[in-house]
Amino acid sequence: MVFFEVEMQWNVLISPNELDAKGLLLQKAIIVHLMEEFANRKASKEHGYYVAVTSLNSVGEGKVRGLTGDVLFPVTFSCITQKPAKGEILQGSVEKILKHGIFLKSGPMESIFLPEKTMKDYRYVAGENPVFLNDKHSKLEKDTIVRFKVLGFKWLEYDRQFQLLATLAGDFLGPI
Amino acid sequence: MSGEEEENAAELKIGEEFLRAKCLMNCEVALILDRKYEQLQQLSDDPTNQISQVFEKSMQYVKRFSRYKNQDAVRQVREILSRYQLAEFELCVLGNLCPETVEEAIAMVPSIKRKGRIHEDDAIEKMLNDLSLIKKFE
Repeated sequence: MVFFEVEMQWNVLISPNELDAKGLLLQKAIIVHLMEEFANRKASKEHGYYVAVTSLNSVGEGKVRGLTGDVLFPVTFSCITQKPAKGEILQGSVEKILKHGIFLKSGPMESIFLPEKTMKDYRYVAGENPVFLNDKHSKLEKDTIVRFKVLGFKWLEYDRQFQLLATLAGDFLGPI
Repeated sequence: MSGEEEENAAELKIGEEFLRAKCLMNCEVALILDRKYEQLQQLSDDPTNQISQVFEKSMQYVKRFSRYKNQDAVRQVREILSRYQLAEFELCVLGNLCPETVEEAIAMVPSIKRKGRIHEDDAIEKMLNDLSLIKKFE
């Protein structure tokens, strides 16, 4: 999985009781608010998953909001993000086995579907713990590590995550 | 199903933002997140506020899938791969998946064999040998 290090500019809202003349506490309040906001946003269609803030690069001039007295600070920071790319080869683990395919997860991406028809010679074997088997007795079961290729993906706005479609069609793909 | 019709990582046709951004390998992210995790514990009385699910899942993932654990090895991997005129994205895929043969490397990153690029099989083989040496001496 390829991660990205990018610089972004967001606005952070600080309430009046957190404003401090000595500056250090204000700096801390800005960092804490930025981290919370970053964690809450989870992901966006444009940037992918928001993994971690790595550094706060600059804090601009604060603007006071008339009604509440809150101060809005523009901040520039570096962070790590992760976004899938079509055609990318990823590793993940088997989460759930269904008759018509397998659900995988890989890092922050939790909704990766590998349809039965893209799994080459693997066949569904029903049972209490269903598995997929091929002629060479290679097995896909819960928690198996799989190397797969991203066939496509879409952004789901209502739960703020990506849904991926995977395939095993290609050389050197499958359980490892 | 995909956002942009022409996007294809296999041919290095990835979004402009992918090409411009600095890419990081699993092992590099593992080192950064480890350090970040410690800082977050110190920063707040209630660190759960800042440690998101995305953070946690990414951390579990990169720890499990990092082929190189110590800091020197991680630095050497990037240094070696940087000698081969790879795009950042290609460099990271190779460093993450650690292919063992030239065929496997080309299957993982087909763009390294695209027309007009200098990657002969010999050069790819040398690169893979250099990488496996780091693993051996780690």
